[in-house]
Amino acid sequence: MNWKLKIVFPLLLLVMLPCRPAGAQVDLTGEWAPRVYNDGMDIGDYTGIPLNEAGRLRAESWHPEQLDLPENLCRPHPIDIGLRVSVSQLRITRELDNETKQPVGFRLHVAWQEPEQVIYMDGRPHPSANAPHKWSGFSTGHWERNTLVYTTDHLKEAYLTRTGVPKSDKATVTTRVHRYGNILTVIFIINDPAYLTEPYIRESSWVYDPNQVIPPFPCEMTPDGTIISAGKVPSFLPGKNDVLSDFATEYGIPLESALGGAETMYPEYIKKMKTMKVAPRTTTEHYKRSQ
Amino acid sequence: MITIMRATRIFLILTALLLCFSAELAAQRAAAPDDLTGYWVSVVTEMWRYRMLVPDKGDYVKMPLNPEGRKVADSWDPAKDQASGNACKGYGAAALLQVPGRLHIYWQDDNTLRVDTDSGTQTRLLHFGGSAPANESPTLQGYSVAEWGGDEPRDRRDGQGGPVQDSSGRLVVAKEQRKQADYLKVLTTHMRPGYLQKNGVPYSATAVLEEYFDYFSDPYTNNTWLAVTTVVTDPQYLIEPLITHAHFKKIPDGSGWDPTPCRADEPR
Repeated sequence: MNWKLKIVFPLLLLVMLPCRPAGAQVDLTGEWAPRVYNDGMDIGDYTGIPLNEAGRLRAESWHPEQLDLPENLCRPHPIDIGLRVSVSQLRITRELDNETKQPVGFRLHVAWQEPEQVIYMDGRPHPSANAPHKWSGFSTGHWERNTLVYTTDHLKEAYLTRTGVPKSDKATVTTRVHRYGNILTVIFIINDPAYLTEPYIRESSWVYDPNQVIPPFPCEMTPDGTIISAGKVPSFLPGKNDVLSDFATEYGIPLESALGGAETMYPEYIKKMKTMKVAPRTTTEHYKRSQ
Repeated sequence: MITIMRATRIFLILTALLLCFSAELAAQRAAAPDDLTGYWVSVVTEMWRYRMLVPDKGDYVKMPLNPEGRKVADSWDPAKDQASGNACKGYGAAALLQVPGRLHIYWQDDNTLRVDTDSGTQTRLLHFGGSAPANESPTLQGYSVAEWGGDEPRDRRDGQGGPVQDSSGRLVVAKEQRKQADYLKVLTTHMRPGYLQKNGVPYSATAVLEEYFDYFSDPYTNNTWLAVTTVVTDPQYLIEPLITHAHFKKIPDGSGWDPTPCRADEPR
């Protein structure tokens, strides 16, 4: 070996090894108990959501009796929404390849309607745009230092809130999972070109709970059907939603503000609201309904 | 000739080691895996009506208050707070980042990260290293000790064997076995009592505040974000720790900076 190589090689090793950041992996597996503070529970409450006109129109047409349609009785949320708006005890396990038993990613299991999501970490490509969309979508992830970051597409159309704010099947969701000691924090960044004017960011946390038992969630259609007769789809025609303004009125918010939009998410909007028309409040105890 | 080569080799090796350790020292001094400095604006996508409005008296349905906490919240009187010089109670450390507004973050000195807010015109000082002085008096923003987190020992040792102990029996973790720091952890104590929500939901002087700052860019717009997870532990008023979140988007400069005084009856 050339004498220069003999010097340079060990030198490079010396310089690089001690300074090189260690590879990052955090143990995310286990049972996680939710600390989810759900909002958007009222009809007409689209606050903080960067909805566009199409999204608002769809939301305004939503009728709560749609939940009682036979096809909706056992309809799950896509998992990104299930983690946010429903009973969301969470279990994270490693996903092993069936044949090699080598880890290929993570599997998430959520309590309500028991959706499962596999996050592939082995670099496999996403399916074609024409592949079927599922409640679990298709997710691939990677580590950014100690944060698990994954992208989900091929999701079915669903809702951003439990009161009908829509999310289209064109949406993709980037999720960041970070463990701070025994707290798991999940940031969802939802990009929906159909119904949002900009990405919608929100966040939930769980606490490590190794003794948590997630009960089964059986869901069966009642043999006699539902209270909604077959063939009827309850909805509001444009401009005919007579309960749309209730939330705004009861909380003393301008109706336009309650119906969301990107502008409403920023601090300066507080000043603007003071110049807007507000209907006389009908109550100051509306919040008790959600207790 | 051989002696010269040997001397050169030793010199180069020592130089490399020196460079490496200097870099480590500099990293220790700056110790910032992420640059949080600059201007940031709140993006209120969650708990909107609790943050963009002053909630109604008694609206604490999302707060894990105990009976004593509810009693205090039910006695909230914003006019009285304003008149008695307590208008800043809603801008204390435990709730400050929930108040919609802008942040200006910068290094006050090598070991102190300073956070100014335009809402309520408040300043928080995040002290790196050490702990709160024993005789520290309680203040609205308390005493905050900051450290970069995430660089704990790795969960697995990659087949490198069992724990290595020093002569005192303490676990020795080589740098190569540590993960890379990737968030800012702030622990705040010595806070004066304040409000978790603008409508008088209380936290006590014994409350402890933990905050975790995650810095990232989103893949859709390439905006830079700061997501802050806040944990307030207060056995006097809460039945369990309260976990909340706040998001901030980085903005190029201080335009839009709108300093306000503390106001008991306004959201910011």
